[in-house]
Amino acid sequence: MKNYASVLAGAEVTRARAGDREALETVYRAFQAPVYNLGRRICGNEEDAEDVLQETFLEVCRSIRGFRGEGSLWGWVRRVAVSKALMLLRRERGRAARTVGGDSFSLDALGAPPPEPTGPIDLEAALGRLSPVSRAVLWLHDVEGYTHEEIGEMLGKTASFSKSQLSRAHRRLREWLE
Amino acid sequence: MMEKVRHLTIDELLALRDGEGTAFARSHAESCHACRRELERLYQIQARLRALPTFEPPRDLWPRVASGVSRKRLRRRVGYGVLGLAAAATLAALVVRHGPNARETPAGPSDVWVAEAESPDLGPFIHRSAELESILRAYRPAYQVYNAPTALAVSFLEDRIVLLDRVLLEGRAAGADREVLVDLWGERVEAMETLVGLHAVQEERLWR
Repeated sequence: MKNYASVLAGAEVTRARAGDREALETVYRAFQAPVYNLGRRICGNEEDAEDVLQETFLEVCRSIRGFRGEGSLWGWVRRVAVSKALMLLRRERGRAARTVGGDSFSLDALGAPPPEPTGPIDLEAALGRLSPVSRAVLWLHDVEGYTHEEIGEMLGKTASFSKSQLSRAHRRLREWLE
Repeated sequence: MMEKVRHLTIDELLALRDGEGTAFARSHAESCHACRRELERLYQIQARLRALPTFEPPRDLWPRVASGVSRKRLRRRVGYGVLGLAAAATLAALVVRHGPNARETPAGPSDVWVAEAESPDLGPFIHRSAELESILRAYRPAYQVYNAPTALAVSFLEDRIVLLDRVLLEGRAAGADREVLVDLWGERVEAMETLVGLHAVQEERLWR
């Protein structure tokens, strides 16, 4: 993963903290691609990824004054982005859950599941077939490097929940990618 | 009778991959070809996931973000000014009680802050404040033609800035924590940005 923290000089971060519009735009330009990519990978579609990007930077611009420089700026922005993506996921699944009963992160497949592929499929297609929660956990753990404890906390669940979602995701990938 | 071999579960293999496997899992994987192959497959999937192409945003969303931030700041401050009349009255009373004049417009922060202009924590706020003050000076001549609600909001924000300047000075003299001073300076810059935003909106209306 590219080291985005090195993109920005410390002085720009300080100016951004003071609300300087140009410095905030520099922060946006530095991190827009990884934030969009994260949103796209977790939510699985372009429209939601754009919402994640917009919501993340509205929050970043509002709250950057509170960023005290403990850890990298990218780490902080990424945390905001993950939280926005999961919130969006929760909102959409909550809407679906209200119609069938259950909670927003326990329903793995709502409605008719897509038909099983007849042969091996590629990784991109397999990711698209995973349930949103399994896909989010897989991405956050295997790519972004979050621990199960962190993921559980972000989902409002336990570390065990995150572990079981990761196992489930890998079982499915094993079936589809063979 | 031959004992049936127990292969590792996917949970055990994932734990092993992430460096958290049990001693049993480690030793089993060393001697079991099938489990080693499964473990290798998990490593490969992780590597392939990390190597997937990166999606780029299809369009530039910065203008939307920037205008969203401005609108929110304006709404928050104006809402605060117009709806928070009690708070405004309290602030006004404080200003009257503390100052020689009944109303002041912000004259800019005291010279004592010049020495701090290059400090890494307060410096950016002091510079930003100076920029905003020079913008405000250009707007002041048109102030008298504003409608009543805008004039009230402008007056509230100016009082707030005057008060913040006093609190900043008193805080500095009393040896307040730097973080507190940074927050107060942040408040000042935010109030000034809202003030500039209000003037800009009015100016736009006047010329329309």
